[in-house]
Amino acid sequence: MIESYHLSKVYSRGVYALRDLSLTIGKGEFLFLTGPSGAGKSTFLRLVLCEEVPTDGRLIVSGRDIASLNRSQVQRYRRTIGFVFQDFRLIPRMSVFENVAFVMRVLGVPLGHRQRKTFQVLKWVGLQHRMNALPEELSGGEQQRVAIARALVNDPHIVLADEPTGNLDPDLALDVMNLFREINARGTTVVVATHDRELIRRVGRRAVTLDHGRVVEAA
Amino acid sequence: MRAFRYALDEALSSLWRGRRSGFMATATIAVALFVLGAFLWIASTLDRLGAAWSQAAELSVYLDDRATSANRGAIEQALAPGDLVAGFEFVSKEEAAKRFKQTFTELAGTFDSLDANPLPPSYEVRLHTASAARAGVEDLVDRLRKLAGVSDVKYDRQWLERLRAAVTIVRVIGLVLGTVLTLAASLTVASVVRLALHARREEVEIMQLVGAPLTYIRGPFVMEGILQGGLGAAAALGALAAVFLVSRGRYLVPLAAALDLSTVSFLPLGPCLLLLGGGMAVGCLGGLVAAVGGEPKRVVTES
Repeated sequence: MIESYHLSKVYSRGVYALRDLSLTIGKGEFLFLTGPSGAGKSTFLRLVLCEEVPTDGRLIVSGRDIASLNRSQVQRYRRTIGFVFQDFRLIPRMSVFENVAFVMRVLGVPLGHRQRKTFQVLKWVGLQHRMNALPEELSGGEQQRVAIARALVNDPHIVLADEPTGNLDPDLALDVMNLFREINARGTTVVVATHDRELIRRVGRRAVTLDHGRVVEAA
Repeated sequence: MRAFRYALDEALSSLWRGRRSGFMATATIAVALFVLGAFLWIASTLDRLGAAWSQAAELSVYLDDRATSANRGAIEQALAPGDLVAGFEFVSKEEAAKRFKQTFTELAGTFDSLDANPLPPSYEVRLHTASAARAGVEDLVDRLRKLAGVSDVKYDRQWLERLRAAVTIVRVIGLVLGTVLTLAASLTVASVVRLALHARREEVEIMQLVGAPLTYIRGPFVMEGILQGGLGAAAALGALAAVFLVSRGRYLVPLAAALDLSTVSFLPLGPCLLLLGGGMAVGCLGGLVAAVGGEPKRVVTES
């Protein structure tokens, strides 16, 4: 599903964010990317999201070298990916329902289907009763579940999560991880970047450790 | 259609949220287009005045008091209606005196106290409108001046040329001033739209990440610019109409009468639509500049 070959990303002043990274993530796999700050976890996710282009090497997603995609192909490609961030990135002026439906709205999905799908996914994350609330009225765990619902509402093939439990206490973090496990159980490829080794141990899935842009441990 | 509706909905709600800064941009456009519209109105009125004066274009051929009937016969032959001359009328010394006293009633007594009538007999010649600007008229004037019995020939072409020059100057000033103000208005719209874009930065980032089409990402900002431009243009036209209505009875109608202009009218439909379209185009340009230049480039934080 996601294959990188000798992937490198160099930022200005010659700073390597990734160095000669070769990694394969199978279809339907659940993978943790771990390592200290600056290890290159976010950079890898950013490359998969097509936010950056590799300096060297190749990144193949679903059989396509994503560095060669043009703008409209990138738009179509991104519609197959869901993303979750540490800081949730919910739109403050929109309700929970509107935040989740927003993705489908800007993709031109008809209203009826949009409403049905949004309600389904909010029910799935257990927040249908808070759908009229504003993000500021929710707890951190609830906000992250809204962000997960938003990532899932478009039925992505891949879900990327960048430190999704960084702002949550351990119990809420495990709840969020259980949601990711359920997403993965439906056949969706899930890649989670986290530095929380205890959480990785509790979830018990494959983990790749990065340091200074290189793979230092694969378990 | 969905993208258009989305852009319109978002632009309207964004305009409402940022109504203070939006008002500033709309007012700037309104001022720019008001100035441009005022100059357009002046130029179109002067154009109509020029056309009216061209209609009335005429030659006055003044005769020597000693002109004989043979001299007059030759002159009338030169003034025979044709391509240039539409017709002519002989004004005798007595008729000239009568007209003078009717026009300048307060001088009638002084005129009567004179020993003799000083006004010369003349021919008033009406020219074809289309021929008024022709070089042929100049030739006719030259020929008439050389005829025996002719003391002077007056042709009011100089006034028409001065009027046309004035119209050109008004147009150029209006165009330069309008262009400068319109550019300023466009930059103001761009700044205001960029503020709106900054306020909705997270939305735009999310839209980019989910692969939203450009029409959805940029559309609301372009639409916001178009609406601001359209509102500004409508306000400018409204202000122009108000100024016109207020000043018509008191200043414009008497001024028009003094200038031999039968009526005063507001800007024709064409320039009105041009101002409206221009305002929307300026707003569109501002919105587009802001949307293209202000889109966030990165969204994921480094770790």
